[in-house]
Formats: sequence, C-alpha cells, structure tokens
Amino acid sequence: MIAIENVSKWYGDFQVLTDCTTAVQKGEVVVVCGPSGSGKSTLIKCVNGLEPFQSGKILIDGTSVGDAKTDLPKLRSRVGMVFQHFELFPHLSIINNLTLAQVQVLGRSVEGARQKGLALLERVGLSAHATKFPGQLSGGQQQRVAIARALAMDPIAMLFDEPTSALDPEMINEVLDVMVELAHEGMTMMVVTHEMGFARKVADRVIFMDRGAIVEDAKKDDFFGSPRSERAQAFLSKILSH
Amino acid sequence: MNYNWDWRVFFKPTGIGNEIYLDWFVTGLGWTIALALSAWVIALLLGSLLGVMRTLPGRYAARIAGAYVELFRNVPLLVQLFVWYFIVPDWLPEPLEDWFKQDLHPAISAFISVTICLGLFTAARVCEQVRTGIQALPRGQAMAAYALGLSLPQVYRQVLLPQAFRIIIPPLTSEFLNVFKNSSVASLIGLMELLAQTKQTAEFTANLFEAFTLATLIYFTLNMGLMLFMRWVEKRVRVPGLIALGGK
Repeated sequence: MIAIENVSKWYGDFQVLTDCTTAVQKGEVVVVCGPSGSGKSTLIKCVNGLEPFQSGKILIDGTSVGDAKTDLPKLRSRVGMVFQHFELFPHLSIINNLTLAQVQVLGRSVEGARQKGLALLERVGLSAHATKFPGQLSGGQQQRVAIARALAMDPIAMLFDEPTSALDPEMINEVLDVMVELAHEGMTMMVVTHEMGFARKVADRVIFMDRGAIVEDAKKDDFFGSPRSERAQAFLSKILSH
Repeated sequence: MNYNWDWRVFFKPTGIGNEIYLDWFVTGLGWTIALALSAWVIALLLGSLLGVMRTLPGRYAARIAGAYVELFRNVPLLVQLFVWYFIVPDWLPEPLEDWFKQDLHPAISAFISVTICLGLFTAARVCEQVRTGIQALPRGQAMAAYALGLSLPQVYRQVLLPQAFRIIIPPLTSEFLNVFKNSSVASLIGLMELLAQTKQTAEFTANLFEAFTLATLIYFTLNMGLMLFMRWVEKRVRVPGLIALGGK
C-alpha cells in the first residue's frame, strides 16, 4: 500500500533523512518511534507529499508521490492524516470541518457530506458537539474530530503524526481507543508515536528511527522482545522505565 | 483670544446660486466619501491579491508583490498624486489623453486620479497586513488543508484567508480610516472635497476658525462612525471559543 524506497532529504546541507526504506502492507499497522529529531515526523509528512524529498521514491497504491506529474491533491484526498496539534479549522463548526473537503474535493453533496460527518461524529462519540467550534472542545475531543475529519474522506490509509503528544494525560486514552478500534477494523495505518502500549496492543511492525535513518524495522514481538540495535535498546529502556 | 465666533456663518448665502455655506460642506463630504470608498475597494481587492502573492510558495509572485510594496510605500502620497495627475495622463495614447484632459469634467478627471493614486497607495499597506495575517497562522493549518486534498486556491479561500482577515480587522480598520483622512490630498489638485470646501469657505467668509472647527467635527464623526461599524463587523464574525483570533 505504502512503499518507501531509499528516501533521503536535506534541509540545505543538513541531511534529515538518510536512505529510508520500508513498506506498509494493506491492513497493516506500523508504528514509527525514535528520539525527537530523528526524522519520524518528516518521514511521515513525505508520505503524502507535505514535505518534499530530494532522492528516493514513495509509492502509495502504485502512485509515485514525488513525481511531478502526480495529481497531489487527489492522492492526498485518499490518504488521511492526523496531526500533533489537531489542526482543526477554528473558524468552521465541527460539522463544517468534517464536510469541507468532502464537498470541495470529492464533490459530494452538502447533505450527503453532512450525513457522513454526523455518522462519524457519532462513531467517535461527539455527535452532541456538531455545531460547536473547535475552540470550545477539549484537546482529546478535538483530536477525535480530526480523526473523524480524515475518515470522512474514506481514506485507503491513515497517517498519524504524534497524535497524542500534545494531549493532557487523561485525554490520551480516548484518542488511542479510537485508533485501536480503527486498527481492529483493518485500516492501514502508519503511526508516529511514543505510546508503546498502543504499539504493543495493535502494531504489526515497529520501526525505530535515529538521526534520520531507519535503524530497526521489526515485527512487534521481535522489537519488544530483543531489539537488535543498541540505540533501540537504549531508547526502549528510557521510555519504558517508569 | 479676541475672536468673535459666529456660527451662523454656515447658514449665510454664498452668493452663488441659492447655496448657503453649509451646502458646500455637504457637497465636500459627498466627494470625500465617494473618493475614500472607491479607493478602498481598489485597495482591498488589490491589497488582498498582493498579500496572498507574498505568501505563495513560488518566488516570482512574492518578489513582484514585494517590489510593489516597496515602491508605493516609500514614495510620499503627495508625490504619487502629482505623478498620477500631471504625468501619467501624458503617457496615455493620444485619444485617451485628449479625452482625459479636455472632454472630462475637471472634477471627474481629478477624481479618477485621486482614486487610483489612493487605491494603489493603500493597497501596498493592505498587502502587508494580509501577509502578516496569513503568516500569523500556524503552519499546520495549511498542511492540514493540503492533507485533505484541497488545492492551493481552495486552501487560501477556505482555510487561510477567512482566518487571516479576522485577525487583521483592527489594523485594517485603521487603514480604512486613513483612506478617508488621506483623501484630503485631493484638495491640492482642485477637487472640491471636504477640506477644499473648508478652505474656500474660510476664504470667502473670513470665518476661518468656524470653518475648520466644523471640518474637524465632520472628519471626527465620520471616522468615529466607521470605527464603530468595524467593531460591529469584528463582533459579528467572531468565532466562538476562539481567543487567538479576532481579539477579545
């Protein structure tokens, strides 16, 4: 579904991604972890072309992201993305946040988009908030709306960029619950996160990145059982010690 | 101060037609409002376009808009007015030049010059405010919009501009008021707007203090009214639960 082949990226002289290669199969849940500054967020933003990369190739369902001929808006509309800071549109009501791209990009009818939006709000437990504005919701609620907004486009895959790291601790679980449910339904997911509990529960594979490179790419049990690299071991011992 | 204030002067006949002096002020106010509003339409449309250009990813659009701003912001308004009124018409193709200089009523040709001048001058300032408004938004907003598959025009139209304009309502208000105040430069090329009518009344009646007091009151009331109107607009478009945008 998502194939990342030898991707490298530089900011000027500084190399942020070094020869990254991995793949996410249909229905697979892949967790990407690593210390901050390791390039995880950059990599996931390269996947739907939000960040350009200078060499290598990324294919989504056979379409090349970096190809100048690719219709990027169309490609992006098929891949859902959830951000660290939610990025709901603050000037639009919750329901309009959910219908905007459905109407503008997919050309759905306003009423059809509304029905779809309301159904998704129901699903993330927020139908009572449809007419409110993002600023009136808690962080956890906003992130659940953001997930619903992405799902409204009927994506073939979902990308999560540290979806819980801007949340207060008591709100993390309500977001993770939605993500676990999605994973169980067979959604293809690439998730940048430090939530190792989530990784343990639903990930098929775990990728560990450090200094812009993929250091480890292993099945979940292998990763948590016996990570091969020293750096992954050191990272795990640090975040799992409490 | 030894001065005999005489407020009845405004109701005295001017000796031209049946007009009293107050009529001159009314006519002048009419010109001032017409000038300012037409210049503001140009400034808002062109300024928004330039402001967007300054934030576009490509380099050329941003540079062109940047050069525009520097040119129009760094030359005094009065100099610009003289260029538009005295020099630019000479550059027009001959039939157009004749039409502008001879066929048009002098008031209309002056009006056109001032409107263009003031509109383009203010556009440079509006441009900078629109740019700041867009750049004040978190980078993630545009990213989220692109991630949903919106095209570049849609990202601006649906996501960035509605937020940016809410942020810049207060500075835009001062620009709006500035247009009204700056329109008084028109008096220097003989357009009988409010300031010119005031000067003329002062000269005709020798009641200089009364004339300028009235002009001050009219400008003040007008701008106060506009400011209250803009506050009302600001309140109307305020987004519930949003503190960062649109003030209080």
